[in-house]
Amino acid sequence: MTLDPIETTLVKGERPVSYGAVIVNFLTKYYIQCLLVASVAVLAAVNPYFGTVENLENILLQASFAGIGAAGMTLLIVSGAFDLSVAGLLGLCGVLSSELLPSLGVVFTVIVALVLGLFLGFLNGLVVTKLRIPAFIATLGMMNIYLALAFIWTNGSRLISVEDPSFNALGTGTLLNVLPIPFVVLVATYLICYVILNRSVYGRCLRAVGSNEIAARTAGLPVDLIRILAFAIVGGCSALAGVFLTAELSSASAVMATGYELTVIAVVVIGGTSLRGGSGTLFGSFAGALFFAVINSALNILNVGAYWQYVVTGIFLISALGVQALRGYIQAE
Amino acid sequence: MKNSPELLHPRNFFNVSNATRFIQVAESLGVFALLMIVVIGASIVAPGFFTYTNLTNTLISASITAVTGLGMTFAIAMGGFDLSVGSVQVLTAIVAADLLSVVDPPLAIVGALLAGLMLGLLNGILISKLRLPAFVVTFGMMSIVRGVALLVTQGQSVMITRHSEFGLLNNGKILGLPVPLVIMIIVFVVLSALLKHTPFGRHACAIGGNRAAAIVSGINVDRTTIAVFGLVGVTAAISGVMLSSQLMIVDATLGTGFELQTITVSVLGGTSLSGGHGNLVGTIFAALLLATIASALNILKVIAVYQYLALGVLLIFALSIDSARRAFITKSLLSHA
Repeated sequence: MTLDPIETTLVKGERPVSYGAVIVNFLTKYYIQCLLVASVAVLAAVNPYFGTVENLENILLQASFAGIGAAGMTLLIVSGAFDLSVAGLLGLCGVLSSELLPSLGVVFTVIVALVLGLFLGFLNGLVVTKLRIPAFIATLGMMNIYLALAFIWTNGSRLISVEDPSFNALGTGTLLNVLPIPFVVLVATYLICYVILNRSVYGRCLRAVGSNEIAARTAGLPVDLIRILAFAIVGGCSALAGVFLTAELSSASAVMATGYELTVIAVVVIGGTSLRGGSGTLFGSFAGALFFAVINSALNILNVGAYWQYVVTGIFLISALGVQALRGYIQAE
Repeated sequence: MKNSPELLHPRNFFNVSNATRFIQVAESLGVFALLMIVVIGASIVAPGFFTYTNLTNTLISASITAVTGLGMTFAIAMGGFDLSVGSVQVLTAIVAADLLSVVDPPLAIVGALLAGLMLGLLNGILISKLRLPAFVVTFGMMSIVRGVALLVTQGQSVMITRHSEFGLLNNGKILGLPVPLVIMIIVFVVLSALLKHTPFGRHACAIGGNRAAAIVSGINVDRTTIAVFGLVGVTAAISGVMLSSQLMIVDATLGTGFELQTITVSVLGGTSLSGGHGNLVGTIFAALLLATIASALNILKVIAVYQYLALGVLLIFALSIDSARRAFITKSLLSHA
């Protein structure tokens, strides 16, 4: 077995790598984590309120909703597809769970919402793979359908309030009086997704399908099934986020997550996962979700209007893609 | 062509192109037939549908969708598309309304169109020069432009109080035809000429048909991409001006889902998402179909959310037909090879 030439030099240590190169390499690889630490440090230094436990807890809580969706989305983007229907799916699952809560109790409500999310995701996957419609447009159409169903269910954009203390505790409670419960679930979701993506046969299949679909098909992989399962995972994650968002807001409506798909995809892309598919970093998505929550919290504290958040999210999405393109360019040189 | 032996399989070539042309004609006819059925059905089921006022209103709203749909068809023919048209439409509608309080209508319209052109060109530059995927760039722009529209208006409505003659753009008549219909026809004629009879249109189709081949044959892909997105921006701005003249009061929440409507009318009209050709006539018929369905549902007092449902189902339906057609063409190509 022969080693890659670069690997050989590293193994034998023949060519000492300069500190500068190591730093540059580290910064390009972990730029979002560095950006996160830097922005937290700067904001904590500039604004006394930012560093308070209350605010940091709130950031962790806010990061959880987009973060849970982004974990599933990372897997799906690695497989070379993505899902724009998550906002509608989340709304529908939130509305359903708030309707079912009085009759089913907390545990069964969460399970039913999760199953519905998995099923709707599965449906998305069927539409994309079996009807052979490009993912972005098919899921855009599906979002309209989910939103409409949630609207019909609630007779328009009526708010359904949830008054069950044990359910609301899912969103507002804390573990050990510090960590918000949704954040604990976020960490668990990322650990599970990490195992799926990096330590399982299915994860390897995802990466194979994403990097070269034709090769994967030729090698006999069930490409459609792999993608459908990835869509189902995204659906499940979005449903989970919907349950916790409903619990936190103690109400649900069809439009409670407008723009969720944009945030989730922006989080994944900023985290460093390429939209071309084939590879992805869950650690990056995790940091990306926190980064977005930090920026939003900063915008709130600095009293910048809510409207700026649309502008900022869009600019971050496009510039993160620009950074990726630049990185690819530098590597190609 | 028959005496050119260098075309290795002239017979197959003709068969395939005949099949494609047949499908194209069938699709235009198909949408037209569907439109006729829906119009007849609506006239029977919904009393008050087949009245002069309602038909005019339906035509006007169809025209607003069709203008941007025509631009979108151009972009889809080039193998791209633009998700930011809804935001661009609302921002330009606001620009027009704001400018009307300072300047005369013609200048306000020019200002709105220029704003649309700028935003479209920006889309095109980001896509072609930074080599970013069209859908993400226009997705990001959708959010940015919507945010700018909210910032400009501070979430308030803008009412057009001066220059009430601006409303003529909506309810005026030229030769007995509503002005929006005339605008749509002009846009259709200009875009058909551009698409079918100029190098620019042929280059756009060539890029959509086979990007690598277009680059190799010396087409300036970047410039064509930027121009096409600029064109889409202008058509969205025209729709924006038409919208502000229709409502005379605009706010930043208008135009959500407009990108979905325009992509739906393009695809329903027979323009394949795989690129390479654009069916402009079909786009107009599909826009009329969508407006007719919406108007009939309104008269039948079906709550507005079912229109969301109808749009989503119609889009998925049109796309599955599109993918079935692509599968058919691939099959016929393979069987003749």
